[in-house]
Amino acid sequence: MKLRMLLRFALGAAVIAAGFLTAGCGGGAKEQPALHVYTWSDYVKPELVARFESENNCKVVIDTFDSNEAMYAKLKAGATGYDVITPTSYMVSLMRSQDMLQPLDKTMIPSVTHVDADYLAVALDKGMEYSVPYMLTNTGIAYLKSKVDGFEPTWAMFERTDLKGRMVMLNDMRETIGAALKYLGYSLNSTNPEELAAAGAVVKKWKANLAKFENEQYKTGIASGEFLLVHGYSGDILQVQAENADIAFVMPREGGVLSCDDLVIAKSAKEVKLAHAYINFLHDPKVAAENTEFIQYLCPNKDAYPLLSEAIRLNPGIFLAPEIQAKCEVLADLGEKNALYVKIWDEIKAGK
Amino acid sequence: MKRSRFPFIVTGFVLVFFYLPILFLVVDSFNASRFGGAWRGFSFKWYERLFHEPAIWEAAKNTLFIAVVVTFLSLVLGTVSALALHRFAKSRLQRFHYTLIYTPLVVPEILMGISLLMAFVAAGVRLGMATIILAHVTFCVSYVALVVLGRLQDFDFTIIEAARDLGATGWQAARRVLLPMLAPGLAAAGLIAFTLSVDDFVITFFVAGPGSTTLPIRVYSMIKHGATPMINALSTLLLALTFTTVIVSQRLSKSGAMEGGQ
Repeated sequence: MKLRMLLRFALGAAVIAAGFLTAGCGGGAKEQPALHVYTWSDYVKPELVARFESENNCKVVIDTFDSNEAMYAKLKAGATGYDVITPTSYMVSLMRSQDMLQPLDKTMIPSVTHVDADYLAVALDKGMEYSVPYMLTNTGIAYLKSKVDGFEPTWAMFERTDLKGRMVMLNDMRETIGAALKYLGYSLNSTNPEELAAAGAVVKKWKANLAKFENEQYKTGIASGEFLLVHGYSGDILQVQAENADIAFVMPREGGVLSCDDLVIAKSAKEVKLAHAYINFLHDPKVAAENTEFIQYLCPNKDAYPLLSEAIRLNPGIFLAPEIQAKCEVLADLGEKNALYVKIWDEIKAGK
Repeated sequence: MKRSRFPFIVTGFVLVFFYLPILFLVVDSFNASRFGGAWRGFSFKWYERLFHEPAIWEAAKNTLFIAVVVTFLSLVLGTVSALALHRFAKSRLQRFHYTLIYTPLVVPEILMGISLLMAFVAAGVRLGMATIILAHVTFCVSYVALVVLGRLQDFDFTIIEAARDLGATGWQAARRVLLPMLAPGLAAAGLIAFTLSVDDFVITFFVAGPGSTTLPIRVYSMIKHGATPMINALSTLLLALTFTTVIVSQRLSKSGAMEGGQ
């Protein structure tokens, strides 16, 4: 029977292929240990990884994820094999509560002493029990120096009617209501209904002057001069500044949102010692400074600060003055209380 | 009678919607500006940057390796499956088989990704290239089987019988008659499998393990720093490769069609 013949051939081929595959991917036991890092793309200077590899006689394998939530879903479903992960702070809290992380052994990370204590004061994991801060960014205001007269570093800029229709705020309830909370002197993570109502009223007032709430196009908008003043992420603005030198970025004096990705060790990590060594390595002041120059985010390592180039030190998109940073906060996951923000945000968006 | 303009208009719109975005992408890959909004001069800088990004090439290598293996495996399995479905169309077992083949086409990707991941975890399989290949084969087989099945439905099996009558063994009949006549269907099915494998993100993300990051996963992750036109440059290169392959394969199949016939 021809079909039986064909079947036999096909099965044979499949078996051979499967065998080849498992041999190709499963095998290859190397004596060199491999540290698996699960992180964002381009989130460490490649030369530094090479240095760590040669110093520790190991291999570093880097894989990437595109959102905290996707990474969480994957690990929660049982995916293993990753040693060091870099989630954002709020996700660290969640993963910790779900028992997905290992407590850090600080005797193996002597360089934690270099971590910026001013930042830790506002961090979510203040004692660095499960996480060491890795890279900081912030959310502030960018504007065109030649077009905005009498700029003041304050969230009140959004009240300026002469800029009406040429300003944009982020379409993100926590960021934008957070800006208003800070403007009023409250905490970003406030769950006090009165404070939130007051912040909602402020945003409504600002909204009258805004072109829109928007998260992506504002970059092109300010680069081309369509918008004069935007509320935006420092990382985004730095990229736009490279193309339009007229753009300045500041953190308002009332403070704002700090966002930090942290180094954590997965519960299922195999190379625990190496993972600690990696975290320790990244907080060596020299390494931290070099890494900051490459990524253009700030590694909160106070002994690295003096080693940073002038360009970074003087760039408020990366380096905040200590007195301003002290007023900033990290967004915490509010769980059920999030509904309070959703309600106010809906009112703001719906109101004409 | 005047012919209706309607089909032309619709065709025009379809072509514009298909190809205009691709055209933008190609043009933007030569734009010196990072933000595609404004043209800031012709530049090869994104191509230069691309060639200095080993991580992207590593991911591209993984993606292509997976796609080639997946295409081969799903072609074999899918064709065999289609033969069984066609040959024993009336049996209850094959009707069940048909349902099984059909299911992956309608199951949402996210569900498939998570459930495959949970199955691999439960079975204690180490995540990596092998799990990605298995997952891709799982859905590619269905597409291959259905495409080949369509081909088989127009197939005249008396030709096989004629070949046997003229002294061909079962193996010879299958290899010299059946396979060549199925070839266009197999080529189409193979292209579908290859494409699906290359651009799958959702399922791949879940079943990928340490050291097996593919191009789509890598590209999505670059959003953190704002995806650069490097991606456009890479896509342009892939497009060039695809078009060349298609044109070459069309040339080849044209000359093949002369003797092979349909």
